[in-house]
Amino acid sequence: MAELSFEPVRVEREVETISRPSLSYWQDAWIRLKANRRALISLYIVIGLLLFTVFGPFVWTVDPAAQDLDQISAPPGADRSATVVDDYAVWRGVTVDVPAGGSPPAAELLAPGAVSVHGPAETRAVRLAWDPVSGAAAYRVYRNILDPEPDGALGLPIADVLDPAQVSFEDRLDLKPLTYYYSVVAMDALGNESRAYRTVGVEVTRVITAAEAVAKGLVEDGDTLQPGDTLNLAAHPLGTDYLGRDLLARLMHGARVSLFIGIVAPFAFVILGIVYGSAAGFVGGRFDQLLMRFADFVVALPFLLFMILLRILFGVGAGESGIYPMMVAMVLLSWPGAARLVRGQILQIREEGYIGASRLLGAKTNYLVLRHMIPNTMGVILVTLTFAVPSAIFTEAFLSFIGMGVAPPTPSWGSMCNEGLKTMLTTPHELIAPAAFISITVLAFNLLGDGLRDALDARMRSAE
Amino acid sequence: MSALLEVDDLRVEFDTYGGTVQAVRGVSFELDRGQTLAIVGESGCGKSVTVQSIMGLIPMPPGRITSGSARLDGKDVIDDKRIDGKDIRGRLVGMIFQDPMSSLNPTMTIGEQIAETLQVHRGYSHKRALARAIELIDMTRIPEAAKRARQYPFEFSGGMLQRSMIAMSLACEPSILIADEPTTALDVTIQAQILDLMRELQRDNGMAIILITHDLGVVARMADEVLVMYAGEVVERGSVDDVFYRSAHPYTLGLRAAMPSNRDDAAQELTPIDGSPPDLFAPPAGCGYFARCPHAMRACETEHPRAFELGEQHRARCWLHHEDCDVAADEVFRK
Amino acid sequence: MVAYTVKRLLQGVITVWFIATATFFGMHAVPGDPLAADKEVPPEIWANLQARYGLDKPVPEQYVIYLSNMLKGDFGISYTQQNREVNDIIAEHFKVSATLGILAIVFAAFGGILWGALTALYRNRAPDIVIVFLVILGISVPSFVFAALGQLGVVNINNALGFTLFPVAGWGTVQHMIVPSMVLGLGTMAFLTRLMRSSMLEIANSDFIRTARSKGLPATRVFRKHQLRNAILPVVTVLGPSIAAITTGGFVVEMVFAIPGLGRYFVQAVQQLDYTVIMGTTVFYGAFLVFMVILVDLVYGLIDPRVRLE
Repeated sequence: MAELSFEPVRVEREVETISRPSLSYWQDAWIRLKANRRALISLYIVIGLLLFTVFGPFVWTVDPAAQDLDQISAPPGADRSATVVDDYAVWRGVTVDVPAGGSPPAAELLAPGAVSVHGPAETRAVRLAWDPVSGAAAYRVYRNILDPEPDGALGLPIADVLDPAQVSFEDRLDLKPLTYYYSVVAMDALGNESRAYRTVGVEVTRVITAAEAVAKGLVEDGDTLQPGDTLNLAAHPLGTDYLGRDLLARLMHGARVSLFIGIVAPFAFVILGIVYGSAAGFVGGRFDQLLMRFADFVVALPFLLFMILLRILFGVGAGESGIYPMMVAMVLLSWPGAARLVRGQILQIREEGYIGASRLLGAKTNYLVLRHMIPNTMGVILVTLTFAVPSAIFTEAFLSFIGMGVAPPTPSWGSMCNEGLKTMLTTPHELIAPAAFISITVLAFNLLGDGLRDALDARMRSAE
Repeated sequence: MSALLEVDDLRVEFDTYGGTVQAVRGVSFELDRGQTLAIVGESGCGKSVTVQSIMGLIPMPPGRITSGSARLDGKDVIDDKRIDGKDIRGRLVGMIFQDPMSSLNPTMTIGEQIAETLQVHRGYSHKRALARAIELIDMTRIPEAAKRARQYPFEFSGGMLQRSMIAMSLACEPSILIADEPTTALDVTIQAQILDLMRELQRDNGMAIILITHDLGVVARMADEVLVMYAGEVVERGSVDDVFYRSAHPYTLGLRAAMPSNRDDAAQELTPIDGSPPDLFAPPAGCGYFARCPHAMRACETEHPRAFELGEQHRARCWLHHEDCDVAADEVFRK
Repeated sequence: MVAYTVKRLLQGVITVWFIATATFFGMHAVPGDPLAADKEVPPEIWANLQARYGLDKPVPEQYVIYLSNMLKGDFGISYTQQNREVNDIIAEHFKVSATLGILAIVFAAFGGILWGALTALYRNRAPDIVIVFLVILGISVPSFVFAALGQLGVVNINNALGFTLFPVAGWGTVQHMIVPSMVLGLGTMAFLTRLMRSSMLEIANSDFIRTARSKGLPATRVFRKHQLRNAILPVVTVLGPSIAAITTGGFVVEMVFAIPGLGRYFVQAVQQLDYTVIMGTTVFYGAFLVFMVILVDLVYGLIDPRVRLE
C-alpha cells in the first residue's frame, strides 16, 4: 500500500452549486424531443408535408384539373415517348361485293379467314380488315387486353358492323400503347353470333401529330418535327388518374384540402374546448356541472352520423364538396374532449401548492392565469392538438371516401382514394399514392404526439 | 454452527441511459437464526437493492449481479432460487414491502393471495389453503378474519394491508422475514403496532428478520445487529449497542446527529448532513463519504478504507482507525 | 351495483333523448322542402304528403308526436320508399351490420389482448418489434385501404385456389363474413394491442408483481393470475368507444364489400334525403352506442372488484 497521509483537509462543498444552466420548460422539452429520434424524424416529415402543400404547387405548376388524354391511368415511371406522325387522314375502309342470298343460321357461319391490320397500329386509330365470311349478315368486333386463348374470353364488344359488304373497322376508342387482341365474329340476320372467331394481336404505338404537340406545349414550333421523330409527352412523376390528371399535382392540391381540414379544424375545436373547459373549471359549482353534462351529451352523439347530418343541415347536397361545413361540423362535435381535459387540468392546478404559494405572495388572478395556469396546461393542450390532427385527417378521408365529404372533382386525399378504389385491380397506383400520403401524415403526427407527450410532461410518459 | 444467511462481497450494477450505476459495491454480512439485522442508510444507498438481489427481484436487465454469493443454510441462492427443487422465496424467506397499498394484487381477495403461497409451496388444496389463510389473518390480529379473507385490498386500511402482507409472507413459516421499510408508508401509531406484531411473531416462530429502514428509532427498538450502508457499501456494522454508543464511522455520527432524541437537551438542534451522496456512475476511488466528512484526510480521497476491526463483531470502514493516523479516533467518536 | 346500474341506465335514457332532440331539430332546420327535393309535385298531392308525414302541424306538436312515437318504437314511414316502415328497414339492415360489428369487435379484442400480451412477454425482442411495427401501420392506415387490400387479397386467394373460398362481395354465408369483419376489426385491434402492451408493461413494473415473485410463485402463475388479469382491465374500459368506432367504420367495409348493412343504407338515405330514415337510423345508432357503452361499463364492474363493490 502507498504511503498514507493523514493530514486533515478541508473539502470544498461544491455540491451546492448548480452546474447546469437552468432551462425554461420549453427549452427542456425541446432538448428531450431532440433526443427522441422517431419524434424528430416525424417532425421533419410534418414540416416537409407542410412545405409540399404550401410551396409544392408553385414548383410543380401542372394544373390538377388538366386532363392528359394521351396518358390515362399511367403508372409512375411509365414510358411516355410518342412517335410524331402526319395529320390524321380519313380511312374509307374495305368493302367487298356480297352475293345476294339468304343468310344461314349463326351456327353454320365460319370464322373470317384472316384479320389484318391496315397501316400502322397507332393510339389514334387501329384499322382492321378481314376476309368476308360467306353468308354472314353482319360482323361483331371484340377487343381484349389479354389473349383470348385458351378460355375464349373475347373481351368487350366494341363494334357491330351491320353491312356485310363492309369487312373493316377503324377502332378509335380510348387506345393505349398496349397490345390488344381483336376478335371478329360473323353474325346471322337475327343478330346471333357464330361460335367461330378469328383473333389478331395488335401492338399499338403512341403517336402524336406536330399540331397536337404544339397545342400541348411540348414543342415551340411544329415545323421542327418530322414524322418518325420521337417525342416525350408531359411528365407525370406519380402517374395519372383515370381521367389523365396529374397525380402529383392533385396530391398537392388535395393536401391543401386534407391538411387544411386536418390542422385548422383541430385548432378551432381545441381553442373552443379551452374556452369552454376553462370557463367550467374557473367558475366551478353548478355552472361547471351544467357545462360538463352538456359536454357529455355531445360526446354521446354518434360522431360520423352527425358529421353527415350536419352536412345536410348546412345544405350541402350530394356531390357537392362543402369543405367549410365539414370543418364547422367537426368543430361542433369534437370540442368536448379538449374541454374536459382543460377543465381537469385547471381543477388540478388550482389545488397545487405553488398556486397557493403564489397567491400568498400576493399574486393576482390574472398573473396566476398567465404565469401558472396557461403554461402548465399548454403542454397537455399541444399534445391533444397533435393527436387530434391524425383523427381529423382520417375523418375527412373517411367521409370523402364514402362520398359524404369532399366530392370530385375537388381533390382531397380521401376523395382521391375514393376514385382510386374503382381502378384498384388494374392501376393500383391511383389508390396507393393518396393512401400512402394519408398514412404517412397520420403516422408522423402520431409519433410526433408520442414524442411531445414524453418531452412535455414526464407524468404522461408512455411505457414504450 | 454456521450462520443462517451469509452474504459475501455482493456487487450489483444497473445499466441506465446515463451509464452503469454501481448500486451495491461489495456488501458482506451474516444473519443468525432468530436474530434481527437492521440495514440503515439514506435513500439510494443500496439497502433495498441488496436484499432484492438476494431475493431475485431486481429486474435483469437493466440490473446485473456482477459478483458475490448469498448462502442460505450453506447453499448459494444467487443464481438459483431453489433449494431441494423448490423456490426458497415464500417458503424459506418471506418478504414484505414499503407500500402495502400497491404491493397487493387489487383484483384478488386477500385470502386468495395468502392461500396462493400455501398452494404453490405446500401443495394444499384450495379449500385447505383458504382455511389456513384465515388462521394467518387472525394471527396478525385482524378482526373478523373469515370475512376479511373474502375482501379485496381496496377495502383494507394501510395498517391492515401491512398485517395481511405479514400473514402472507409468514404463511409457510419461513426462517427469514425480510422487511423492506415496512412502516415508512404508515401512520406513526400504526407503525408501532406493526413493529410489535413483527417482534411477537418472531418470538413465537423464531424466525430471523432483516429490517431495512432509515429510521434509527426503529433500529433501536428492533435490532440486534446493525449494518450502516453508504453509497453501496457497508461503512459500519456491529451490535446495536456498538453502533449507537460506540459509533465508529463519521457517517453514523452524522445520522445520529440528524435524529431527534429525548435523552439530550431538548433544545438541541438537529444537524443535517451537508451535501449529497457521491455519483455511483463513477464511484470515488477513496472513501465514499469523503466529500461530506468533517474529518476528511488526504488518504480518504484516494485510498479506499478497509474495514477496521474494533470489537468482536464491530467493524468500520474509516481511516481514522488506522494506527498511523494522528487524529485520535477516540476524540472524534466520543461525542 | 344495482343502484349504479339504474343510475347508468337513467343517464342513458336522458342521453338518447338528447340525441333524438338534436336529430329532430337538426333535420327540421334543413333548408328546402323534404317532399319536393327533386321533383315538381302537384299541390294537392303535396298537401296529402304533408298530412301523411304530419308536416302540416306546428313544429312543437310534431316534436311531441315524434317523441311519443319513438317511445312506442315507431320511427315512421320512409319518404322515398313510401310503403316501407323505417323500423322494418332498420331491422332488416341492422342485423347485418350488428353481425359484422360483433364479429369485428370479438376479433379485435381477442387479437389485441393476445398480441399485446405477446409483445410484453417478448419485450424488445423480434416478436415485439415486428408486432409494434405492424401496430403502427395498423393505426396509420385508413380503414378503406384495409378494405381494398382485403378485397384484393380475396381475389388473389380465390385465383390461387381456383375456386371461390371467400366471395368478393355480398352477404349471407360464413365465408362472406370472415374477411370483412377481419378488415373492419384491424384498426381497432392495432389500437387495443398498443393499449394492452403499455398496460402489460406498466403492470410488470408494479409492486404487486414484485410481491407475487417474492412469494416464489412460478413465472407462469405470476403472468396468468396477476399480470394478465390486471392488464386486461384498461382494455375492457375502451371497448365501449371501440364498438362505436367499429360500427361507424362499418360504413366503409359495407360499401367496399357491397354488404347490405345499415351503414350503407344510411349513406343512400342521405343521398336521397330520406328524412325519416335518416332520423330513425341516427337515433337508433345513437341509442345502440349509448347502451353498448353502458353495457361495457357494467361488465367492467363485474370484473373489477373496486367498481363492483362501491
